[in-house]
Amino acid sequence: MRHFTEEELIAFQLHETFDEQAIYKHLEGCSECAALSDSIAETLRIFSADPVPAPDLDRNWQRLRGNLSVLAPEPRHRWMHVWKHILSWPAAGLATAALVVLLVFGIHSRTATKPNYAINGRGPLTTRPVDPAIANHIDAAERLLTEVNNTQGPLDNVTRDQARALLVTNAVYVRQAHSSGDLAEASVLEDLGRVLTTLDNEPPTHESAWRLRIEMNTNGLLFDLRVLRQNDTPTQHQGPTQALTQGLAQ
Amino acid sequence: MDKAETEAIRKVLAGDRDAYRVLMDHHFCSVYRVAFRITGNEADAEEAAQEAFLRAYNKLPGFRQDSAFSTWITRIAMNTAINLVERRNRDLSYHAPRIADEPSLDGGVVTVAAAKAQSPESVLLDSEAASLRRAALDTLTPMERTAFTLRHMEDLPIAEIAAALNVPANSAKQAVFRAVGKLRRSLAPLAGGVQ
Repeated sequence: MRHFTEEELIAFQLHETFDEQAIYKHLEGCSECAALSDSIAETLRIFSADPVPAPDLDRNWQRLRGNLSVLAPEPRHRWMHVWKHILSWPAAGLATAALVVLLVFGIHSRTATKPNYAINGRGPLTTRPVDPAIANHIDAAERLLTEVNNTQGPLDNVTRDQARALLVTNAVYVRQAHSSGDLAEASVLEDLGRVLTTLDNEPPTHESAWRLRIEMNTNGLLFDLRVLRQNDTPTQHQGPTQALTQGLAQ
Repeated sequence: MDKAETEAIRKVLAGDRDAYRVLMDHHFCSVYRVAFRITGNEADAEEAAQEAFLRAYNKLPGFRQDSAFSTWITRIAMNTAINLVERRNRDLSYHAPRIADEPSLDGGVVTVAAAKAQSPESVLLDSEAASLRRAALDTLTPMERTAFTLRHMEDLPIAEIAAALNVPANSAKQAVFRAVGKLRRSLAPLAGGVQ
């Protein structure tokens, strides 16, 4: 029986997990995880919201007002009037032409939608799996790598422990992806496994942390994980083109 | 954004600074609330909220009115409050005893400002548990504290917190999780701590 990590149980207590039901079921039968979950709930209860004192609005306004300068309206430019005059009579014609162009462009772009293209040359990503457990795993891995990527200096023990925990589950999902024939997902997860192994085993020095960050950024692993996460998120079942767009936007 | 706010912004931009009061009436309390969660005390929360409103006022000519003023001012307030906390952490003298505002009468001897008088009830309330809580919150980075308090105490969605902090949603989520883990470990002496 696989136990849930502290992070997964924190996500559960804060309702930030994809498979709340599965964790709930597990907690009913696992006293170890249930105790950890209760301890997290207790921590959250201890830090529940204290009342916030009401501010004195008048006093704050008086203090603020003294610092406010009078904003002058921007002067209107003369050349804008000239352009308005020039553009007034052919405006209707131009608008019609623009509408026609938009219509034609719209029809073409709709027929030219690209299906399932590869990322990093590894073949099409799947749009099929909606397994909340994989979604959680990828989500946790992405969070860990984002943090490793954005912090400086050698990696701390908490990060290493998280990497070790993810490494174990990752091996299961790699095998699962292979047996279901999802080679794209398997390939990304194998890459992830390599980085997690390095994370777990590298000596805690400044140089090794930097080497790891460079490696992650060179092979585009974080990006691949974001695409996979978009595919595997149960609430947002969508095509890879959308997923890629969202991945790029993040 | 409601009509009164749009109209107030138009007036402010036309030179009527008193029209800004409308925006302050609508949003000061919520902005102060967020600042209080981040800074953890009234004086700093007021300072951060005031600074946020002042910054927003000066940036008002560039404000795109298709977005909500509330989201914009909250974002500014969060950054202002985080900066203030970081500034306070750097300024070690901030936590030292203050010199009294009034000059001392017994020439040459510096008088230290008296602490606020505490009632027996408030002394009781300031128990060991309360100081442990404060100490635990002090172990969080400003980013972790902000993400945690806004998610857990103010019940804001991760996406909103991430947008306000200008970080990816997963970084905000990670900051919340880290914060809860750290708090749990800090509270080890109390019930519910690490086993």
